[in-house]
Amino acid sequence: MAQYSFYRPWAAASWIPLDQFRREMDTLFDRFGGAPARPGDWRGVFPAVNLYETVDAYHLTAELPGVEPGEIHLSMEGSTIVLEGERKIDYASQEETSLHRREREGGAFRRAFELPAAVDADQVEATHRNGVLMLRLPKTAEAKPRQISVRAS
Amino acid sequence: MDERLRAREKQELPEESTRPGLVFRPDIDILENRDGFVIYADLPGADDKSVEVRFERGMLMLDARPATDLEPSWTPLHAEYRLGSYHREFRVSEDIDPDGVVAKMSNGVLELSLPRSAERRPRMIQVQAG
Repeated sequence: MAQYSFYRPWAAASWIPLDQFRREMDTLFDRFGGAPARPGDWRGVFPAVNLYETVDAYHLTAELPGVEPGEIHLSMEGSTIVLEGERKIDYASQEETSLHRREREGGAFRRAFELPAAVDADQVEATHRNGVLMLRLPKTAEAKPRQISVRAS
Repeated sequence: MDERLRAREKQELPEESTRPGLVFRPDIDILENRDGFVIYADLPGADDKSVEVRFERGMLMLDARPATDLEPSWTPLHAEYRLGSYHREFRVSEDIDPDGVVAKMSNGVLELSLPRSAERRPRMIQVQAG
C-alpha cells in the first residue's frame, strides 16, 4: 500500500458559492466514513462526491475512475447511504515493469452520507458510466414538498 | 496506519484561458516495460468519443471534454469536486513509434500504449558456441 499521499488542500475555495449552504448541510450531512479531521472537512476523502436536490429526489454523483461497477457496493440504512468498494491498481504483478510516475492511488474506500430527508430505499437507481457513479434517491411521499392551495373564503 | 484511499484535488490549469469552462490536469501513472511506455490517466466522465490524443513534434497532447449528465433542475447542496475538461502534455522519448500508439478508455481511465520503434527494442543476442 502506497504510503505517500498526493492530497493537496483545496485552494481558497471561491468556486463554491455554497459555503453558507455547506455550513448548514454539515449538521445534516454526516460523513461517518470519511471521519473528517475537523467538522465539515471532507477534503481528500475518496471518492469525491457531489449532492444535488430536485423536488422529488436527491442525486448523488461520485467520481470513481478505474473502479469496476462490480467493485462498488451500495447499501441504505434509514436515510444513510453507504458507498464502499475498492479501486484496484496493481502494477507489481506486471513483469519487467518500472514505474516512472505514480499519481493514481488504489485501495479500499468507504463513505456514508446521511441525506437531509427520507428516501425510498427500494426505488434508488444507480448507474456507473465512464467512471462516474450516479445515484437517484427518490424522496418518500412524506418528504416531498406539497402544494397547499389557498381558498378564498 | 491510515490506509484510507484519498481523493486528490483536481488540479486546475491556470494557463488555460482560451476555452470556456475549467480545465484540469488529470492524474496519471507512467510505466515502462520491455515494449515501451504505458500511461494511465484518470478522466472521470469521459468516454472514448470525448478523448483526443495527438502526437505532435515529440509531444503527446491529451484532451478530454466529458459530457455532463447534470440536469439544470438540480440544485447543488454539497460539492466536493468540480466539472470541466482535462488537458495534459507529455514530452515523449524519441524512440517511440507514433504510428504504434494505442489509446483505450475503460471506466473513465485512459490507457495509452506507446511502443518503442522496432529497431529500438532491446533484443536478445544469441550466444553461439564456437
